[in-house]
Amino acid sequence: MSTTVNRPRWTRQLAGLIRKDLRLELRTKETVMAMVLFAIVTLTIMQFGFGTRDDDLTRFTGGLMWVTLAFTAVLGVGRSYVAEREQRVLDGILVSPVPRVVLLAAKAIAIVIYMAITELVVIPLVGIFFVKGPYWDSIGWIALVALIANVCIALSGTLFSGLALFTRARDLILPVLFLPALVPVVIAGAGATHAVVGGAHDMSEYRGYCLFLVGYAILFLLVCIATYDAVFDD
Amino acid sequence: MPDRLVSARGVGHIYGERAAVADVHLNVAAGERVAIAGPNGAGKSTLLRIVATLLRTGTGTLTVLGEELPGGARRARCGIGYLAHDPLAYLDLSPRQNLQVYADLFGVQDADRRIDDLLDRVDLIARADDPVRVLSRGMAQRLALARMLLHGPRLLLLDEPHASLDAAGTALLDAELAAMRTDGRAAVIVTHEVERIASVADRLVVMRRGRIVVDEPVAGRGPAQVRARYEECIA
Repeated sequence: MSTTVNRPRWTRQLAGLIRKDLRLELRTKETVMAMVLFAIVTLTIMQFGFGTRDDDLTRFTGGLMWVTLAFTAVLGVGRSYVAEREQRVLDGILVSPVPRVVLLAAKAIAIVIYMAITELVVIPLVGIFFVKGPYWDSIGWIALVALIANVCIALSGTLFSGLALFTRARDLILPVLFLPALVPVVIAGAGATHAVVGGAHDMSEYRGYCLFLVGYAILFLLVCIATYDAVFDD
Repeated sequence: MPDRLVSARGVGHIYGERAAVADVHLNVAAGERVAIAGPNGAGKSTLLRIVATLLRTGTGTLTVLGEELPGGARRARCGIGYLAHDPLAYLDLSPRQNLQVYADLFGVQDADRRIDDLLDRVDLIARADDPVRVLSRGMAQRLALARMLLHGPRLLLLDEPHASLDAAGTALLDAELAAMRTDGRAAVIVTHEVERIASVADRLVVMRRGRIVVDEPVAGRGPAQVRARYEECIA
């Protein structure tokens, strides 16, 4: 028997898992397509629900955008272990020498990518639907806070989807666990967006919300590192 | 590496209030092929999953490939090959892509060449780039065989390995099990096919209600004798 194994490097394991998730998504196009369509439909319903296009909804922009993104995130996170669960691959992954936190990191990075693709559609659409004043010059700032918020969503979402994975009522458990955890992200995301749209450029407020999100991400990162082995191995 | 690849002392596992495995003592030495048989619900697959580090032992101590579990689980996993009822493969990826995922997870060197060799060995090279979803059950299980052997494991853990394999896969697996008598590997085979034990295993372990009731050599017995002994144990 030839020995073909080295002590596996976590960087190679992480790259392999991310590549696998993206390949699966490219082939099936199930998760991102569902997220984008869901976000478009939600924003369209809100656009009709809040009045005509003559109304200036700038002051609601942050809330409308981040509530939509929060529900879209629940959809995306809920599908993050679907392939492993439905195709019964999880045992194969778990019997390999991959640190459980690397599994989390791979799923989290995939979710960040899916959310970013969704936001490529959502952020311009919010400007078209709800904002009458200046918007497009703030889009870089909105994208930045979205990127930070995506990390928060991905870390908390992957942890809760890992927990829900081993429960029978996982489709019910995940939103019940995950949505309350998203409340701070929605508040900070909406606040930061509101601080930079419609001609307002309150960078001090914007910075404060971004720092809050960074703190949230660090907190969930530590929780994930502390608990993820137990989630999969206990 | 240790000569004793598995050492279980008083191992147990409880599902809810039912002891699925209780007070199991089992040693597996290098070169040994141990068959575990027993009626449904006897705890065979649970015991295999505990040794595979997929379940934690509730009681007792367990050492796999010289690593005490659960602390040494990650190091032990480097040398474990696990074959389950399911192929443990992503249906929307091809056999090659599936093996690439596992090569990354196990840190297999020169992975492309190794994958091609294995796909050739399990006779899937012509279907290497088709999605697993379109392969037959026998082909998918041959892919599982390739996945199990990919990283050159020292300890093979097989759960009903012959149940879904086609004739080609069965021949490959039996050849692999025959080779390991001399190359220092070991196998634990959970099976319902008691007659087959005479040809693929050196030891017969019979489980009943979570406990091992018999652990003895197979040597010199034919299929009918193994069947008779098994029936006697579970009567």
